[in-house]
Amino acid sequence: MLTKTSAVLSDGTKISDLIYPDTREVQMRVLSDPEIYELEMEKIFGKTWVMLGHESELPNSGDFIVRDMGSDSVIVARDKSGEVHVTLNVCPHRGMRVALTDCGNTQIHKCIYHGWAFRTNGDFVGSPVERECMHGKIREKSELGLKKARSVLYGGLIFATWNIDGPSFDEFLGDAKWYYDMLFLRSDKGMEVLGPPQRFIVNANWKTAGEQSAADGFHTLTLHRWLGEVGNYAKKGEEEGEGADLSPEMIGVEVSSPHGHALRCIDLARKIRRLTGLNPDELSVQEKLKALPPAGMTQDMIDQLANNLSEDQLKVLTSMPPQVGGMFPNILFGFVYIPQPDGSVVGSMTMHTYIPRGPHKLEFCNWIFAEKDAPEELREKMLKQTIQLFGTSGMVEQDDSDTWPHMTLSAKGAMGKNMTLKYQAMFETGAPEGWPGPGIVNEGFTKDDTQWHWWLYWNELMNAE
Amino acid sequence: MQHAEENSLEVSQGAYVPIGSAEYNAVLTFLYEEAALLDQLRLNEWGERLATDLKYTAPLRHTRLGVDHAKSFVRSVQHFHDDYRSVLGRILRLSGKSAWAEDPPSRTRRLITNVLVRETGNSDELDVTSYVLMTRSRFSEHHVDIISFERRDILRKQDAGGFKLAKREAILDQSVLGTANLAVFL
Repeated sequence: MLTKTSAVLSDGTKISDLIYPDTREVQMRVLSDPEIYELEMEKIFGKTWVMLGHESELPNSGDFIVRDMGSDSVIVARDKSGEVHVTLNVCPHRGMRVALTDCGNTQIHKCIYHGWAFRTNGDFVGSPVERECMHGKIREKSELGLKKARSVLYGGLIFATWNIDGPSFDEFLGDAKWYYDMLFLRSDKGMEVLGPPQRFIVNANWKTAGEQSAADGFHTLTLHRWLGEVGNYAKKGEEEGEGADLSPEMIGVEVSSPHGHALRCIDLARKIRRLTGLNPDELSVQEKLKALPPAGMTQDMIDQLANNLSEDQLKVLTSMPPQVGGMFPNILFGFVYIPQPDGSVVGSMTMHTYIPRGPHKLEFCNWIFAEKDAPEELREKMLKQTIQLFGTSGMVEQDDSDTWPHMTLSAKGAMGKNMTLKYQAMFETGAPEGWPGPGIVNEGFTKDDTQWHWWLYWNELMNAE
Repeated sequence: MQHAEENSLEVSQGAYVPIGSAEYNAVLTFLYEEAALLDQLRLNEWGERLATDLKYTAPLRHTRLGVDHAKSFVRSVQHFHDDYRSVLGRILRLSGKSAWAEDPPSRTRRLITNVLVRETGNSDELDVTSYVLMTRSRFSEHHVDIISFERRDILRKQDAGGFKLAKREAILDQSVLGTANLAVFL
C-alpha cells in the first residue's frame, strides 16, 4: 500500500519551494537529500511506469529475469500462455528474496528459506508438508501470492507500475507516443535485445542522469567534444564546420511533454547530403529513406515503415528523426547514426535505465537492440559500435558517468546544496512551419526547455497526494 | 564444483609451460611490462604490443545457480567488444585533450598473479591465463574501485623476440561493476 506522505521535509521546507518557476531554477539539494530520495521512491517510482527490459529477454515459457522498480526487486516472468508478469521479489512469508539469480527458467519459484512456492504469475501454490498447513488458516491462499504489479508491453519493452488504478501506459506517454512509435513500433517484426543489459554502479543521484536524458543536447558540445577532435566525426565536409565544431549537431527540433518525456529530433539533411551528394530538399520521402534508412534498418526493410507509421511520421523520420531523448523518470534512448571510416553509416539502438540505489548512487543499465529481421552482419556491427560508444566502456558515455558523481558531491555541500541548477536557455521559436507532430515543439539550436519540463513533472508528482 | 570444470570455457588443453622456465619468464616479463605501461599511462607504447588481428573482449557476468555456472559468462552483449582498430581508437581518444573520463587520469595498479602458460596447437602462440586485481583511484575519493578479473590471453611470439597480444578475454567477477565506466584497459 502506498502511504500518503507530506511533501514537506523535516526542516519545514516544502518540496515545491525547491523549484523556482519564475527563474527556471532547481535547488541542488534535490540531488543529495536522503529524505527527498525516500519520497521519490514512493511518489515517483511507486507511481509512474518503470521500464524493466524487453520481452525478447524471455523467449520461453518459464523464463524469468530479476529487475528493479525503484528500490524494489521484481521478478519478470513469462507464463505458459506466453503472458509476461511482474511480481515483487519478496516472499510474503518472512520477506526473503524469492529469486536469487539474475535470470533463469522455472514454472515454480520456490523460496529457499521455508519453501513457499509461487507460479510465474505470482500465485501462491503452497508451503511444504501440506497436511500441516504451514501458511496457516487466517489468510486464504489467494492472499498469499507475490505482490503483483500492473505491466504492459510496448514494442516488446516491458513496463510496470504499482499504481494499479492510475493512468494507462498510453496516457502516461501522452503526446510523446507519436514520436516513440517511430522508434519502437516502426517495423513489422519489431526489435529485440542483442543480449542482457550491461550493469554498473555510478556514485551519483539518479536524477543527474535522469534530467540529462530529458534531452540535454548542449552538453555534447563540451563534454563530448572529443567527437569533433578525433575519429570519424572529425571528418566532415567544409560547409559543416571545421573539426571540433559540433555546433551544427545541436540544431533540430526538441519535443517535450507535460509528463517529462523528451526527444531531440536532429536534422538529417547534412548526413543525407554527405552520403548522396544530393540536395535533401529535392528528395522524396522514399528517396531519403533509401539514401539513409532509419538507424538500425537496411534498404530492404524500409518498405515496412509505411505499414506501421503515418505519412506525417515518415516525413519527420526522414528529416528530423528522434535520435536521443528520455522517457520519464529514468530512461534514455539513443537511435543514432554512427559514421564509419569508409563513409557509410551504422545505426545504434540503445536504451538505458538509471536505477536509484540510494541518494548518492545509481545503477546504469544498458540494453542494445536490433530489428528482429536485421541481417547478421548489421547486427554484429551495431553490437560492436554500440558497445564502443555507449554503456560501460563506451567512449561517449564514459564522460557522462564521470560527471554525475561530481554534481552529486556538489549537492552535498552546505553552500552547494543551496545553489541552483539553471534551465534558463529558452526557445523563442515554436514548432517549424507545417510540423505535423504533437507535443511541446520548438526548433533551432538546442535549449533547456525539455529538461525544465522534466523537473516540472517531477515537482508535480512529488507534491501529488 | 564438479560441473563447473567441464563447462568452463575455452581453457586450452595444451601442455603447461613449466613455471620458472625461460619461456614462462618471458611471458611473465611481457605481462609485468604491460601492466607498467598501462599504469604509467604509456598507452601508445602499450598499443605497439597489440597484434593487428587482436580480439579484445570482456563478457558480462550473471548470477546463476551452480548447475548453470557456464551461463554466468555472457558473450552476446559484453563490456568490451573490440578489435585492433577500435582499441587504437580508444587510445587516440584517451591521448587527446578532451577524454574527461580519464583526464585527470585514474591512478591504477594492475596486480598480476596466478599466471599459467600452456602450449597451443600453434607453435607461435601461447595460451596465458592470469588473475588481475586492479585498483582505480580517482580524484580525492579515498575508496578505490576494485576491478577483479581473469585474463585469458593468446600471446604470439615475435621473430625479434618477445610477444604481441593477439587475444584477450577479461572475465570480470562482478555482475554489476563497481566502477563508473571502463575507460581503463583491462
